[in-house]
Amino acid sequence: MEVEPSLPNGDSAATVTTAASVPSSRMNNLAESLKLEHQFLKVPFEHFKKSMRANHRIVEKEMSTVISSVAEAANRDDMSKEEAVHHLTNLVSRLQGLKRKLEEGSKAENLQAQRCRARLNHLEAAEAENLSEWNNTRLRRILVDYMLRLSYYDTAVKLADCSNIQDLVDIDVFHEAKKVIDALQNREVAPALAWCADNKSKLKKSKSKFEFQLRLQEFIELVRADNHLQAITYARKYLAPWGATHMKELQRVMATLAFKSNTECPKYKVLFESKQWDYLVELFKQEFCRLYGMTLEPLLSIFLQAGLSALKTPFCFEEDCTKEDPLSQESFRKLAMQLPFSKQHHSKLVCYITKELMDTENPPLVLPNGYVYSTKALEEMAKKNDGTVTCPRTGLVCNYSELVKAFIS
Amino acid sequence: MELSTIKDAFDRVAKKQRLSSSKTQEVIDQIIREIEQALVKMHDPTLPMDQKSILTELNNKLNEMGPVNQLEGSQKELNVALSKYAKLLDKSFNPDISKAYRNIDFDIHTINQIIACHFYRLGLFDLGDCFIYEAKEPEAITQKTPFLEMYKILEAMGSRNLEPALNWASANRDCLIQNGSSLELKLHRLQFVEILQNGSRSDALKYARTYLAPFAPLHLAEIQKLMACLLWAGRLNSSPYSELLSPIHWEKLSEELTEQFCSLLGQSSESPLSVAISAGVQGLPTLLKLANVMAAKKQDWQAMKQLPVPVDLGREFQFHSIFVCPVSRDQGSEENPPMLMPCGHVLCKQSIVKLSKSSTRTFKCPYCPLEATVAQCRQLHF
Repeated sequence: MEVEPSLPNGDSAATVTTAASVPSSRMNNLAESLKLEHQFLKVPFEHFKKSMRANHRIVEKEMSTVISSVAEAANRDDMSKEEAVHHLTNLVSRLQGLKRKLEEGSKAENLQAQRCRARLNHLEAAEAENLSEWNNTRLRRILVDYMLRLSYYDTAVKLADCSNIQDLVDIDVFHEAKKVIDALQNREVAPALAWCADNKSKLKKSKSKFEFQLRLQEFIELVRADNHLQAITYARKYLAPWGATHMKELQRVMATLAFKSNTECPKYKVLFESKQWDYLVELFKQEFCRLYGMTLEPLLSIFLQAGLSALKTPFCFEEDCTKEDPLSQESFRKLAMQLPFSKQHHSKLVCYITKELMDTENPPLVLPNGYVYSTKALEEMAKKNDGTVTCPRTGLVCNYSELVKAFIS
Repeated sequence: MELSTIKDAFDRVAKKQRLSSSKTQEVIDQIIREIEQALVKMHDPTLPMDQKSILTELNNKLNEMGPVNQLEGSQKELNVALSKYAKLLDKSFNPDISKAYRNIDFDIHTINQIIACHFYRLGLFDLGDCFIYEAKEPEAITQKTPFLEMYKILEAMGSRNLEPALNWASANRDCLIQNGSSLELKLHRLQFVEILQNGSRSDALKYARTYLAPFAPLHLAEIQKLMACLLWAGRLNSSPYSELLSPIHWEKLSEELTEQFCSLLGQSSESPLSVAISAGVQGLPTLLKLANVMAAKKQDWQAMKQLPVPVDLGREFQFHSIFVCPVSRDQGSEENPPMLMPCGHVLCKQSIVKLSKSSTRTFKCPYCPLEATVAQCRQLHF
């Protein structure tokens, strides 16, 4: 760039640096906000990993069955030729079945790999030029996440479809959760237990007691139905193994055999209440989120809390709070009630008229009555009205020459 | 963070996955081949072997092949790639963004109301209906009606029909004027230009007399310009005023109408949910760092009344004037307002009282050599 010789050097340097620093800070903001997208990449990856593991397990199992069954046949002495042929033919068709299954499995794996890649590409596509559109998509992703976590599946699917972001949200992952949740709401534990078995090693690693809670509930249901003998057999089989780690709870539940379901003793009465099932649903949701590397709270709540804390000032609660501030609305104020106020180290002044920031470029001017507006706003007003300005809040009329500049650091 | 490194790591995962699955197929094929060969031998009457020795031979071959062990190698490589990618994700991204979350009663009902309103104001009416049905918030439907009207007006404008917009603007004339908006005039101007372009000159003149004339006292220059357009009726595109035909006026006016419509509803021009979430995205990185520091110092995150450090948001989130005294670092308030000294520097009242030893003597401005007395200082209103 050529610098005009008439311009003092310092000035041109200053404009160049400010021009460059604005986008760089914005890019920095963008990079920081991308770091918040852990879940966005983690969930499809965990899903992908899970299918790979499951497929591999099937292969290992089938293969060792085939091999051991060949070994067994070889060791037998009484096998006729027909039997041997029949046996081997069976094994071949079994292996062919496995092949077909694997082909399907790897199709699903490829789709999941594609999804992982689509998300990486989406993050890469975020640039300063398309940021507002990208941010819109992010809000929609966050909303779909909220819908899924609160089990508003229809809305989730509709929103994802109409925004064309199916690859960027985890509807299929939550589909798995839906089955379990629906069953728990119908007071069935079988799908939940199957889910626990499927994810046994991971649940064990995180020391989850979800399965134990399910077993306790089944036991309670047997007691409720007065099937005492069956309840005892059940407890021996399914509750006893948890004795080492959860003895207290185990004892408490066993005591219900003595108290029955119509007990008034508060300690045991609560075990028979229907909200125990709601608790199981909540517990399942938490385990499910943990397993997939999701935050336990909906993303919407996390971002909303952060945003409201950052925006919350004592001025938001005044009557003349501008409508543009979300905290001017009762609903947002209610949510922000228990959140901390933000803090400022430096003055930030907004012109009442233009809503623009007042800084060295657009310094604040003081009217004789102490009201402050931006130079831009007052200059324009004076130009239109032969050099006089009117205070929009008090109606005071004065001359532009009566205004004084305020220095605010 | 280097997204390209992460992508490379993922490509490696995908490659190993493909390798491993083709290896699996290969091994299964091998076993099938061996068994089929054994079957062929059994059916071959010329061979002097009985079924028992064929089976033993097959068993030996399979054991020699060690199919399960064959798979192990590719699985191991896949596992290495998987755990590398997982580690890279944990390192490059913030693995737990809920660390700054406060465990308060974050009322779902209130959030649902906000979301319903957000859908309706974006014109996503079906979605909003579906949502309030599923979320069991039927009363949120009251937020739909006003936005239905707004989108009807906007839709009509989309097909170049200004009538609903004009009706609305004239019904809300006083409020619009109070907002300092000349939306009504702009709508009439657009209509006038349409007539001028597609209708007759006399129609245009008649329209101007009826609808534009009342604006003359306040917008004389604008009206004069529009009247001059009458000279080019039907061929405005070759006139000095061809700019008036630009479709951008329609877009801009739709935006302005949305803004004014929302304003009269007592709503912001942008969806408050999207503003709050954007602020959250900007603020959260700072809050997470802060939560980490506080956790290390064993300070309580859940109970503090004010954040200990500023969270810098973009200027689009600056809705209020906040004065911070440069001397005491206190935030200005009603009890402790900002005061202007004669030199033009501003401090808060308490700082001035302190500097003047409880208003008993003159003091020097901390930022310049000028002296001042308390009586000379003036309270400021931002």
